[in-house]
Amino acid sequence: MQYAVQTIGLTKIFNDWWGRPKVRAVEELNLTIRYNEVFGLLGPNGSGKSTTLKLLLGLLYPTKGRAIVLGGDGDDPKINRRIGYLPEESYLYRYLNPRETLDFYGRLFGLPSKIRRERTEALLEMVGLKAVANRPIGTFSKGMARRIGLAQALINDPDLLILDEPTSGLDPIGTKQIKDLIRTLASRRKTIILCSHLLADVEDVCDRIAILYGGRIRAEGPVKELLQRSDRIQISTGPVSQQTIEQIRQLLAQEAGQVDVSSPMERLESFFMRIVSEAQARAQPTSGAISTTQIGSFLAGQPSGDLLERLTESVEQPQPATEQSATRPIETPTPVKQEILDQLVYRPEDQQDKGQG
Amino acid sequence: MISWSTGQRISRTRGRVSMGKILAVATNTVRQVVRMRIAVVFFVLLLVILPVLAAASTGDGTVKGRLQTFVSYGLSLIGLLVSLLTIIAMTYTTTADIVQCQVHTVLTKPIRRYQFILGKFLGVMIVDVVVLAIMSGLVFGITIYSPRLFRIDPEQMEQLNNEFFTARNALRPTEPDVSKEVEELYQRLVTSQELEQVFKGLPREQVIARLTQQKRLEKRAASVGQELMWEFHNVRLADPNGSLFIRFKYNVSSNPIDLQISSQWLVGDLRQLNQGVQVGTPIYRVERKDPVRTFREFAVPADAVAKDGYLAVAFLNDLDNDTVVIFPLDEGLEVLYKAGGFTANLLRGVLLILVRLVFLAAVGVFAGSFLSFPVAILLCLLVLFTGSTSGFILESFSFLGKNLSVIYDYTLKLLVQALPRFDLMNPTKFLVSARLIPWSLVLWQGGGPILAKALVLLATGLWVFRSSELARTTV
Repeated sequence: MQYAVQTIGLTKIFNDWWGRPKVRAVEELNLTIRYNEVFGLLGPNGSGKSTTLKLLLGLLYPTKGRAIVLGGDGDDPKINRRIGYLPEESYLYRYLNPRETLDFYGRLFGLPSKIRRERTEALLEMVGLKAVANRPIGTFSKGMARRIGLAQALINDPDLLILDEPTSGLDPIGTKQIKDLIRTLASRRKTIILCSHLLADVEDVCDRIAILYGGRIRAEGPVKELLQRSDRIQISTGPVSQQTIEQIRQLLAQEAGQVDVSSPMERLESFFMRIVSEAQARAQPTSGAISTTQIGSFLAGQPSGDLLERLTESVEQPQPATEQSATRPIETPTPVKQEILDQLVYRPEDQQDKGQG
Repeated sequence: MISWSTGQRISRTRGRVSMGKILAVATNTVRQVVRMRIAVVFFVLLLVILPVLAAASTGDGTVKGRLQTFVSYGLSLIGLLVSLLTIIAMTYTTTADIVQCQVHTVLTKPIRRYQFILGKFLGVMIVDVVVLAIMSGLVFGITIYSPRLFRIDPEQMEQLNNEFFTARNALRPTEPDVSKEVEELYQRLVTSQELEQVFKGLPREQVIARLTQQKRLEKRAASVGQELMWEFHNVRLADPNGSLFIRFKYNVSSNPIDLQISSQWLVGDLRQLNQGVQVGTPIYRVERKDPVRTFREFAVPADAVAKDGYLAVAFLNDLDNDTVVIFPLDEGLEVLYKAGGFTANLLRGVLLILVRLVFLAAVGVFAGSFLSFPVAILLCLLVLFTGSTSGFILESFSFLGKNLSVIYDYTLKLLVQALPRFDLMNPTKFLVSARLIPWSLVLWQGGGPILAKALVLLATGLWVFRSSELARTTV
């Protein structure tokens, strides 16, 4: 088996009531996704991304062609056992609370109760919903439900993770967390399919991408190759004097003709992260998710032990995926230290102490 | 040898995991039905109505009448509301997961579609069994403790024990063969050319059916001063020291002023009277005055039955009456005798309701597999209504004109006959008259065919669900 996912002439045509072809959602799709690859499926709304994923998972049947997932059919329980899927909406049971939800999905995988309990707690901590783990999901915001949706996709520690618009409805912390998670899972040699129209997210984490339009692939290849502009050079330095800048400018102008020199802007994402981290460090109360930027221990491929300690290590590891992905410098988020993580974890007694003080 | 035992172990483990998945879906379905407040509404409704019904039931004013009314309405209400609960819960839980797309997250996990649907089915049945057990327990409790509440005397209590807190078998007289008389009458009508006038356009077999019914009723009619006698053979009683109960209903040609009929009854081995031989077993003579068009019964000691199992019951239409008395067909006259206890009988009655619920749940799966929630619910309600009134429907349409009859035979009649006859499996008609609900009815005559039909519907629903696309067009 060379490929984790392979489609051969995959076609899906939706018919109208009279059986006449109405919409060609996917047409002659020949897609190959290798093992241990983070693959981005891009395209505007209605380009056939979600339909492709549903065809892969057997929720829709192809009109023509075939989809092979992990060497078999996507609706075969033996194959499903190794897949984690987050649909475009979370599609959870509104009357269950997060803990019951994760336990239910764990039971569908036939996980023993001890492992289900451990994973449920680790995932709840990871998605920052431990404090609201007994509240029905029906009362959650879209972003909070999305976090539980993500957690259910990870309960089986999947070999192939299929994420359809994973950051939809999430705040920037949640978005960053998903990107961190993808990088961590990629480092554990998992295969990930990321389907999104948020280009920055895909650009940050994907090894290869395909762009769909009208149900067909319009471009496909490694992100680096597709985005690299060989006709432009970018130089980054620390602070230098105006005189040195002028000398460099003259030197470059002699060879390249046109030179642009300016100070780089901080990315809004990292700026936002910094502000929220400061607020969380001051333990300001919130009824929403408490994002910790932690990755569940079993997902990080670590044995059970002191979860917080291991999470800190995993966060502080350099992330190679960021280096390969851009033609401009990408800000690596400031590593979160142990003492900050300690403060990020919500403890009701902290609030009581402050209230009493 | 080793590989064989390993294979068995793997197979056992797989079975356990497979059942575990079905149970996971079942538990989730129970939570869904309870937390979406579908079950709670019906549960609270029954919890409020049943005690009120117990207090409000008066019947004919006697304690027995009160209990008969309460058990009849109470069980009917439980049956109806739990049937509605089953229909709503089953169709909702099947269709909602498709419409609200939870199947996208569930069926992309290692669970087969049939396991998912069987889990849903099991979940609804668990809710049904719990609600049914609690509510029928409540009916049982109220019924058992009511006599203490009314402080009835021992004589009345004995009557209650004989006529209500018991389960009795019924002997019905065999219908006499009237085919010869009917054929003669038919020929006479043909010869006199009255046939066309009386039975306009009816096919021969329907005319014969009507004439047969007429002749049989004639055999059950007694004019003033006339006697009727019914004979029973091979009567074997479990308790020879117990009692026999003659249960009857009078229809009359014209209403008496006081709507009462005076009568004399003889019960025993009446051959002794005819042949003038020495009396070996007692013959009981009973004089009564009973209202018309009402089921009544009286007890005689069981030793009235002769040693060879012969028993005769004779009725004399008293000279005081100014009307012909007719005993309706089927239940117009029966001899009842004790064959079991009330508790076990009630349990079998509840099982009859449960059989109905299994069928309705299967219809819910079938309808929910390809219809939207409102349409699926409508189909299930139609099945419930038709099944509950199928006897009435079949009777109403049994005498149609020639052309209409052909259309009816191949459409509505087929459909009604394909559905279970819930009306024949109604436990209240057994319990009110303290009749034994035989296990054969629960398991084979009623339960077996209904469960087989439920299985076919369930399998069809599973097949449709397995072959359908579960995602919608989203491009």
